[in-house]
Amino acid sequence: MLTREEIAEKLKEILIYQNPGDSERIKKGTEESGLIDYFGLSSVGMIYMIIIIENEFGVSFDNVGMGDFKTLGDVVSYIENAKKQG
Amino acid sequence: MKANDISFFERFTDSETFSRLVYHKSVGEMWEAAASYGDRHAIEDKETVLTYSELDVLIKKLRGYCAGKGIVKGDRVGILLPNSADFVKAFFALSGMGVTVAVLPVQLDPGTVFGVSMMFGLKGIVSGCGLEEKLAVAEAKKPGFVKLLSDGEGPETGYDKDVQPDDDCVIMFTGGTTGRSKGALLSHRNIIAGTVFGCYSLKDVFYRRYILCLPLSHVFGLVRNLMCSVYTGSTLCICRNNKDLFADIGAYRPDVLVTVPALVEMALGLSRLFKKNMFGTIEYVICGAAWVPPYLITECGKLGVTIYPGYGLTESANLVSGNPTPAEKPESVGIPYPGQEFKLVDGELWIKGVNIMKGYVGAPEENAIAFTEDGWFKTGDLAKFDEDGYLYITGRTKEIIVLSNGENVSPAEVEAHYDELNYVQDCQLFEDADGDGPHFLHLEIVPRKTELAQFDAETANAKLMEAVNKVTESLPAYQRPQRITVRTSDFERTPAMKIKRYKKFG
Repeated sequence: MLTREEIAEKLKEILIYQNPGDSERIKKGTEESGLIDYFGLSSVGMIYMIIIIENEFGVSFDNVGMGDFKTLGDVVSYIENAKKQG
Repeated sequence: MKANDISFFERFTDSETFSRLVYHKSVGEMWEAAASYGDRHAIEDKETVLTYSELDVLIKKLRGYCAGKGIVKGDRVGILLPNSADFVKAFFALSGMGVTVAVLPVQLDPGTVFGVSMMFGLKGIVSGCGLEEKLAVAEAKKPGFVKLLSDGEGPETGYDKDVQPDDDCVIMFTGGTTGRSKGALLSHRNIIAGTVFGCYSLKDVFYRRYILCLPLSHVFGLVRNLMCSVYTGSTLCICRNNKDLFADIGAYRPDVLVTVPALVEMALGLSRLFKKNMFGTIEYVICGAAWVPPYLITECGKLGVTIYPGYGLTESANLVSGNPTPAEKPESVGIPYPGQEFKLVDGELWIKGVNIMKGYVGAPEENAIAFTEDGWFKTGDLAKFDEDGYLYITGRTKEIIVLSNGENVSPAEVEAHYDELNYVQDCQLFEDADGDGPHFLHLEIVPRKTELAQFDAETANAKLMEAVNKVTESLPAYQRPQRITVRTSDFERTPAMKIKRYKKFG
């Protein structure tokens, strides 16, 4: 089972893949950093991230709204819980 | 200058196909012709499959139901439905009755639905799929408001043959030339022109399989995706959630995707990451609503996918031009479609034509800005033509930012929310990018030092950002700045002391 820190690091790798030009800033992001105002995700960027997460982590985002996730930590918590519930 | 005649466009297809691209008098007449596609699938929406014949019966029954509720030709009625078979049914039922359809974005809250119903003078709204609760405020506050359910059925009723080409057909939301939300009123002639134009670029345009991922409340989705699909006897495969787009492509096996550049960019990125062509069965991508970078055309070409860029506006029933030869002139938005005239005034593109809207609903000031007295529509886009008549968009005269996902953002509208804060002296929203990376919205703020002087530096910054973040969260997602910078100095000013606006692109 991945720790919260490991999940957050993997998520940052995904965000850097989506936006390599902003890699230094993304690396400095914390769980409190906002997906929109800090990591700069647009609506399509959010979908992009979720498609990769579903593939990489094997968790589904079927019954949640994109607006439910404000910070990186929100996504980490969702993945952590989904993994626990198996 | 005038656009090419209709006959010019025959070269991009074969004569039999071309002869079938007729201009119907009204949307109702067009649907009546489409109904003869009979057993072909009109819609696939997960487990729901409707043939043209089956859909025709449902449309006629919904017309009977609406008529029973007192809806008559000339009324204005809203549609508040997600992308679904119900939307398609409601759209053709109402437009066939000679009713003017106001297509409402599904994200509107109940109060705004009421406000819009007052602004557009809607007699009622067709809703369903769980969204009907959003009609509650309009029902309670608007006298005589008619709540219509998309699964309503009444006696089968045919289309109104007396509807004329210049009768009102659709009201679409747009930011328009000034960025303030308003309704563009399009006639049956406009919508039919947009539909036929959309069929001029592809070689074999009939009996395709379209996947729908754009909202039908956007003119690009309504005209180029829904209308073109139905007009050509194609199947409209409905993607309910864009995160499932690629799974849906696998399941539906569509061959045409109508979308925005940001989504094509995403498909290419995922193709590289997963080492798999994410476009799957897609052969053609109709790409628009924002500038299409030429490298997207090249990169998609390597995957066997042809991207057709085009140019249009809500006010032009989606289409002005389309590029039928993207490999030869990837930077062009193509050849203007027939029935239009153009003028370049100080570089700005002005248009008259069969596709240009009747005007903005109840907005005489906006109409006076958008149209000249002799009827030219001022697009706000800077353009040029090359020696072969191909059109290029080179910039914008207006301060509207067009995001790569097609959303229009008015900086002034967004800045006004932040300017209301006591802690903010001034601010500026602009389109930015890091190197060659994706474009994003950047807000720079000049703090109001007199208000913040009571706090120490750390607290002042925390107070400012707390207030700023609250505003950011209250904005619709597409208007939110993705980067916020607090300046230590004022903006550069013009001689009139106005902020000198940044303009990095366009």
